[in-house]
Amino acid sequence: MMRSRVNDILPSLLITLVLLLVLEVASSLIPILGIFEYRLPFNILIVLYLSFRLETPFLPVLVLFIQYIHSFFSIEGWAMGTLAGTLVCILCNYLRELIHLNSIPVTILTTQLFQLIWFGIVSLMIYMKTGETHYVIIKFGRFLPESILMSLISPFLFSFLEKIWRSRDEGILGGSN
Amino acid sequence: MRISEGQNSGRQKIVYYLVVLLLSTYGVSRRSIHMDSLTPFEQLVINIVSPIQKIVSQARTDVRDFIVHYTMNVEASKKNLDLKKDIGQLHEEIFSMQEIALENRRLKSLMDFQDETAAKKVLAQIVAWDSSSDYKMIRINKGSNSGIQLQSPVVTADGLVGYIFRMTDHYADVLTVMDQSNRVDGVVSRTRSHGIVEGYARGKMQMKYINRREPVILNDIVITSGLGHIYPRGIKVGTVSRLERETFSTTQLVELSSTVDFTKLEEVVILVLSYDQMKKQEWDALDQTEEEKLRIVEKEKKMKSREKAKEKEAPPAATKKEKKI
Repeated sequence: MMRSRVNDILPSLLITLVLLLVLEVASSLIPILGIFEYRLPFNILIVLYLSFRLETPFLPVLVLFIQYIHSFFSIEGWAMGTLAGTLVCILCNYLRELIHLNSIPVTILTTQLFQLIWFGIVSLMIYMKTGETHYVIIKFGRFLPESILMSLISPFLFSFLEKIWRSRDEGILGGSN
Repeated sequence: MRISEGQNSGRQKIVYYLVVLLLSTYGVSRRSIHMDSLTPFEQLVINIVSPIQKIVSQARTDVRDFIVHYTMNVEASKKNLDLKKDIGQLHEEIFSMQEIALENRRLKSLMDFQDETAAKKVLAQIVAWDSSSDYKMIRINKGSNSGIQLQSPVVTADGLVGYIFRMTDHYADVLTVMDQSNRVDGVVSRTRSHGIVEGYARGKMQMKYINRREPVILNDIVITSGLGHIYPRGIKVGTVSRLERETFSTTQLVELSSTVDFTKLEEVVILVLSYDQMKKQEWDALDQTEEEKLRIVEKEKKMKSREKAKEKEAPPAATKKEKKI
């Protein structure tokens, strides 16, 4: 179902942004558990869900909103994530017919694959800005455990987001098209 | 009709994608992590969210304190009797310590000791950390209402933490020295070798642009040079933990461990300097750097002349052997 009006997406978007706020607060407080090296990038997971599941021309704008909220909790800013997220959305758009998240293992694998693509785009941008490969290698060391954990979480978060966006009837998760 | 609607939404989609892509590309190219100003909306969101982060952070401290206090309480009742005996002895030691403190104060006044960081100090607590593992930012519970300013240096008793990167009325984000975007003009305290310290990896920092001939050794202490308008001179940044001197390179790789234990960081001090103070410190640092360089050159000259004199006085070992033969 194409959602081409703002009213179609606004209530779900607001709930998603509130959810993101809560998850970002949780992620920013991970160091109080004594884990200082790793965080959980929920913003990436939400962007991936929207690109997999949502068919709307406003998708890049949604990515922008999500990254803007993320920038309140990170000095990363909104721009780099928005660029990576939008490129991932374009890719998903082309592969839409091939992505069928009809089981938990497939969802985990697909999420892992797209996180890897996201990492590749961001790393390329960092390399273009700093010219340092060592930092990217170190970043990859952090990315692996973080992304695996996020992929394992993804089926549960996606099913929660499913309820918010009521997108089950859109057929991508293996349902009727 | 449906086809035209589809075409319209398709065009709309392309336009949105193009606009967002261009906007974000512009944002990435313009982005420099130096200092950030917040819009009223951003300030509002941070001011709403930060108290929640503060409450959760505080709850963790309370729970930890409760557990620690309970176990300590059990232990304390056992030790109480022993401690009472020790108190008598400690009273005597305190008396002698007080005498030493008084003496110290007198000597300091005699030496005309001055606190180099004549800055207003604001104590703050950490309420949250950066939500991305790529960046090393911390959020503190003091903002512009407490008198702190953008780019105010943040320290602890152990050394440098970072500087205020962005802030609201009640909260501020500190870009720590462990972040790759933060650069500190540093000096190796022993050799006065100059370099730029920046966040590296796995909780380490890297000191760049030190000539490979500089005699830096392990455990050398690196301090701030006072240049760069942000950090006052003489704050401890880290200690040298690894050195690499490649034959093909003109510089050496100097890896530093921070003197501050970031994993146990709970409170920090913000040094608030006025613009004039900062300017003065910068000029002082520049003057002193030149003076120090001259002093080191003179010292080296003296050392060399002494060595030459010694060589002249003592005949070479080879000639002695020859005489014996």
